[in-house]
Amino acid sequence: MSQRAGWFAWLIFVIGALYFILPLFGTFVFSLQKVRGSLGFSAYEAAFANPDFLRTFLFSSLIAALTIIVSLALIVPTAFWVNLRMPRWRGVVEFITLLPFVIPAIVLVFGVIRTYGKPLTLFGIPLLPPLLNTELSTNIVLVAAYTVLSLPYMYRATDNGLRAMDVRTLAEAAQSLGANWFTVLARVILPNLRTALLSGALLTFAIVIGEYTIAAFLARPMFGPYLQLQVRNRAYEAAALTIVAFALTWVAMGIIDLITRQRATPLTGGR
Amino acid sequence: MTFLALTNVCKVFPNATTPAVDNFNLKVERGEFISFLGPSGCGKTTTLRMVAGFEFPTAGAITIDGKDITGVRPNQRNIGMVFQSYALFPNMTVADNIGFGLKVKGTPKAEIKQRVAEMLTLIKLEQLGGRYPYQLSGGQQQRVALARALAIRPQLLLLDEPLSALDAKIRVSLRNEIRAIQRQLGITTIYVTHDQEEALSLSDRVVVMNAGVIEQIGAPFEVYNFPKTAFVASFVGTLNIFDARVDDPARGVLRLADATILVEPTHLSGLRAGDAVKVAMRPEMIHIESTGAVDENVLTGVVENVAFLGAVARIHLRVGEMTVLVDEFNNPHLAVPAVGSTLTCYFAREGCIVLS
Ligand SMILES: Nc1ncnc2c1ncn2[C@@H]1O[C@H](COP(=O)(O)OP(=O)(O)OP(=O)(O)O)[C@@H](O)[C@H]1O
Ligand SMILES: [Mg+2]
Repeated sequence: MSQRAGWFAWLIFVIGALYFILPLFGTFVFSLQKVRGSLGFSAYEAAFANPDFLRTFLFSSLIAALTIIVSLALIVPTAFWVNLRMPRWRGVVEFITLLPFVIPAIVLVFGVIRTYGKPLTLFGIPLLPPLLNTELSTNIVLVAAYTVLSLPYMYRATDNGLRAMDVRTLAEAAQSLGANWFTVLARVILPNLRTALLSGALLTFAIVIGEYTIAAFLARPMFGPYLQLQVRNRAYEAAALTIVAFALTWVAMGIIDLITRQRATPLTGGR
Repeated sequence: MTFLALTNVCKVFPNATTPAVDNFNLKVERGEFISFLGPSGCGKTTTLRMVAGFEFPTAGAITIDGKDITGVRPNQRNIGMVFQSYALFPNMTVADNIGFGLKVKGTPKAEIKQRVAEMLTLIKLEQLGGRYPYQLSGGQQQRVALARALAIRPQLLLLDEPLSALDAKIRVSLRNEIRAIQRQLGITTIYVTHDQEEALSLSDRVVVMNAGVIEQIGAPFEVYNFPKTAFVASFVGTLNIFDARVDDPARGVLRLADATILVEPTHLSGLRAGDAVKVAMRPEMIHIESTGAVDENVLTGVVENVAFLGAVARIHLRVGEMTVLVDEFNNPHLAVPAVGSTLTCYFAREGCIVLS
């Protein structure tokens, strides 16, 4: 019985793994076939040779990093407070964080353009100048829009991490030892959320790197629109770029992991 | 002099119809070991949390050493707390856990190191300072939690069912260890438990609670032998409780089923012949009568069951409509009575408690 269950589990695992790996593998093989009749890396050479590749990828990485920071600053305290003090609000907050799944990016970006393309007023009182007039303020809007897109992933990851530990008791233990709320968050809660936040950050990074709609409509030099252009014109280079972007995303995450790793803290504490 | 005082403390949670804690009054001396004992939901944890500062009383005041701390935030109270679930910080080593409170206060590193070493010695885990909580057994984790709470030299130590997640053997050894450490440091301690054996064996005084109200405060001996209310009598220890009727209050005569029994007449003051009362007695106050010489407070019945509990054998004796529990000390030279045999028992009138 358990023998069969184990076999079945493996089957599911293999199917799942294939589902993820096959498209990647297919893309990879395709990217090697630029020169007819042989396998080689000439598509990669061509892709790297284009200076726009590095420019857009770095710009997207920067926007992604900023998005992660803003998103963390917004979500972690919110999820913490909802878990600890306002469990009744959990449903509402979850609903709000899931909205980006329901609202298509195209709707979001048109909303953004309509709202920030002209001076922002409230009951006739001017609040903000048109934000989409300068590059800098457009970039701010971009980060804000991506922060919204990252909400479901970030909130879910953080919430899972918080639920995996006894936040309330840990916080109380720290408080009874003299810690204030800031210390509780910084020294007790955050270090134990590392894995969860890392996975949220990884997803956010991946979304921002690959995002097309918002980047294109706000006309920012992001990697997504660049990749789109390549797919239209140069199929092999586009495949190569996809593989490279995928690898770079993981490298970026590895770096974040290294930076945030403290001494020998085990990633999977507890039993 | 009173060190900790709770005066008329009440707690009503929002949307609750009845108070979780109602008019709680307690004075604790410096160095005293106090237990809160009561069934689940009676308000033990809520009271403890108000002392710790995690809940604020709806009414009443809490003072420590004469200072009113009712509104003081928990991180300003300098009170050590030990939780049922240990609540060790999973990202820190044992040593860092113990040193956390001192680090938060900005204590110099060298001093923290010395204090941590001291604490590790106190809980006999000198070798394990470098381990992470998940590498420790439950008992070890709870000792670390105790050391962590004590490292800050708190003015008060609070423990909320610290042993209920551990298995029986460790529970007993660790509770003795906790008490020994408490005596050694002379720290005023409140210990919450629903295990009466723990409360009785550890405490200077026990606070028996029920439904948010204090039923009795007293030394273990007092609470066990002289329960003030029917609740205390039935909650603390095992008790035989029988319905009886007053026959002659002046001489202490009651009718218990077919038998006439005698109790201390003082128990019946204010009662009249014919009043219904409850008579209670501990199983260990009832003895097997084999000489035939006793003629007062004698019960004869059929042995229904015998449970051998180790130190005692608990005999279930059927007397008319009642089942009487009788505890006999274990004695390898005396066989326990056979099930189905007839047995006569007696009890001294001093062993009877009358509950009206
Ligand atoms: N945060 C809260 N909100 C509302 N009601 C609460 C809250 N905490 C406790 N209560 C209620 O207060 C009463 C006392 O609870 P408390 O936790 O103090 O009991 P306890 O004696 O510690 O029980 P146990 O032995 O099960 O731990 C219970 O009826 C409980 O439902
Ligand atoms: Mg409790």
